[in-house]
Amino acid sequence: MKRIATTVVLNRSSIQVDDAANARLEAYLADAARTLDGNPDREEILGDLEQAVADQCTRRLPPGESIVTLAVLEPGLAEIGPLQVPGATPDVPPATSAARSPIGRPLQQISEGAVIAGVCHGVARYMGLDVTLVRVLALILLFLTGGAAILVYAGLMLLLPYAPAEPGAPAIRKLPLKCRELVLFLRSKLTALTS
Amino acid sequence: MDAKLTPIRKGLLEFLVLKIVGTRSVYVPDILRRLAGTEFATQEGTLYPLLSKLRREELVKYEWQESESGPPRKYYQLTESGRTQLAALDDYWQQINRTVADIGR
Repeated sequence: MKRIATTVVLNRSSIQVDDAANARLEAYLADAARTLDGNPDREEILGDLEQAVADQCTRRLPPGESIVTLAVLEPGLAEIGPLQVPGATPDVPPATSAARSPIGRPLQQISEGAVIAGVCHGVARYMGLDVTLVRVLALILLFLTGGAAILVYAGLMLLLPYAPAEPGAPAIRKLPLKCRELVLFLRSKLTALTS
Repeated sequence: MDAKLTPIRKGLLEFLVLKIVGTRSVYVPDILRRLAGTEFATQEGTLYPLLSKLRREELVKYEWQESESGPPRKYYQLTESGRTQLAALDDYWQQINRTVADIGR
């Protein structure tokens, strides 16, 4: 019988695994990723962990063998041990950095269900007003200023932080996502320019 | 018995890792070897998150070094504030030791 091997890239190394080892490895890394959810060092730790797994497997492969099996992988994972996150990392919700209204709501743009970028929704929530009312007022303002109000909108769209996605919120429509990509692109250019 | 000692060990691990990194530029297997066989024997699954936290707190930094076998390795060193922190921890540890020795005489 021919054994089918999959090549897995782990950080800066790659190894060949059989199906059983592949499934085990995927489950292990998914579990680690879950454990690190919300950890500010998540990507770095996952990279280090992947490298550790690759090193373990490479070291444990019997001479002449090239495919990692469960018999090779399991002792390696056991030596790495369970992922233990230091308890002293206080969770700082991203919302705390945003401007807050007197009622404690941050001024953010809300991508979910947005017409353009979700600025009106964000302003409405900030001021405790109805979204539709704010949108209508924004439209009136747009006409009254002969279109100049669009600059205010664009400014807020570029500056306001994004509200974290809320569970159960309507899915992001295509257009706002494009806005978001555009803003993130511009911001990255800006930071590249200033640094 | 051991369950009562676990939090003490956990709390001191960061201190000891700083001490080890303070001696010279080390990579993770060096740290593991130094701690193996002591009360503080630990594993990569514990060290990586801890080192990342220390790096974020700017107590340690790392640089990549080529190895003869395999991909480059991360070598960790103390930063200036890491040294200050280690000295402060060392002082505090001495102080605690004296207190522990004095109380209950």
